Amino acid sequence: MVESNDHLIEKIKQLIIQRLRLVEMTPEMIETDAPLFGEGLGLDSIDALELVLGLEKEFGVIIPDAEVGKKVFQSVRTMAQYVLEHQGTA
Amino acid sequence: MFEDHHPLREAPHFKELLKRASNQTKFDLLNFSFEGDEKEEDLSLKLQISAYFLSMVHFYRLRAAGWNPDIFAEHSMGIYSALAASEAIGFEEGLFITEAIGRLLKREGAIHPGGMASIIGLPLEEIQKICQDLNGFQLSIANYNGSMHFVLSGEEQGVEKAISLALSRKAISATRLAFNTALHSPSLYSLREEIMEILQDIKVQPLKVPILNHWTVKPLRREEIKDFLSQEIGRPVYWIRCVEKLLQEGFTQFIEVGHETTLTKLMRWIDREAEAFSAGDRLPR
Repeated sequence: MVESNDHLIEKIKQLIIQRLRLVEMTPEMIETDAPLFGEGLGLDSIDALELVLGLEKEFGVIIPDAEVGKKVFQSVRTMAQYVLEHQGTA
Repeated sequence: MFEDHHPLREAPHFKELLKRASNQTKFDLLNFSFEGDEKEEDLSLKLQISAYFLSMVHFYRLRAAGWNPDIFAEHSMGIYSALAASEAIGFEEGLFITEAIGRLLKREGAIHPGGMASIIGLPLEEIQKICQDLNGFQLSIANYNGSMHFVLSGEEQGVEKAISLALSRKAISATRLAFNTALHSPSLYSLREEIMEILQDIKVQPLKVPILNHWTVKPLRREEIKDFLSQEIGRPVYWIRCVEKLLQEGFTQFIEVGHETTLTKLMRWIDREAEAFSAGDRLPR
């Protein structure tokens, strides 16, 4: 099923909060285009694996390696784009 | 290291510990630098001393807030602050051991350049295979941190090759750690006599809070502490085993007594339901 972009973005924000246990955050607090790592949300490589597992479980999409991971985990929007492009192809 | 308004500077005991630390070591914690001619190559030594100090500040802060731990688990050089927090040794003694062993590692790194790599996203079998495939570079598993998180130690060139191999075999991340020695690898086991010499004047007191030995998963006995310290830099850290044992024993809340969140994050892979947080993440605003 192809999801609408806004709905998917919301779901991805929820996935980030839930998988990373960011208990004090709400989806509204995560900017769609802000960097997830370093300066932005401040995530690290341990979080990246958690998101890889989360995307696979929730959307059935696979991040095959670190190179793809770097591109996908730039922001919530790039994550959503990757899910849209790869959902149902795994 | 701490900007003027850093909330930790207001923590109970911060100033007192800072003063005591500056009487003990030439390392200036506020400026993250050594007095005199020590240069940037001491990064790992600086990080070790800073981590010890920060753990102790957070420990006293938590204790002042009424927190009474039932047990300590320690990861790698966290043993020194765990021993000081359990009052088996004093704060100054812990700092002395941290710096003395740190200098020993620095010397060893200059003679036999080594390194460490953190590899995330590959299971144990893949990590073992990397060590086998790079046979000849003295690579070994230094930390068993989680089902998909391992640290490798070995000769410098071997560590670089392991990183490339891990990435080509689909690791999510493979990066060098700030160590120029093969910490927690058998190559450092030979330092145990020198470490015993460092410890010879230390009188280990009865522990007020037990510390879990991650090799035996039993509380560390007072009489085995020096032996443990002399061996631990030459043996792996079995963090998963430690946490699994605590979960089996019914522990439900885990607090990382330090400034980082790595161990807290690792809990997610061991037991997603367990409550875990880092003291560094819960600073007063």
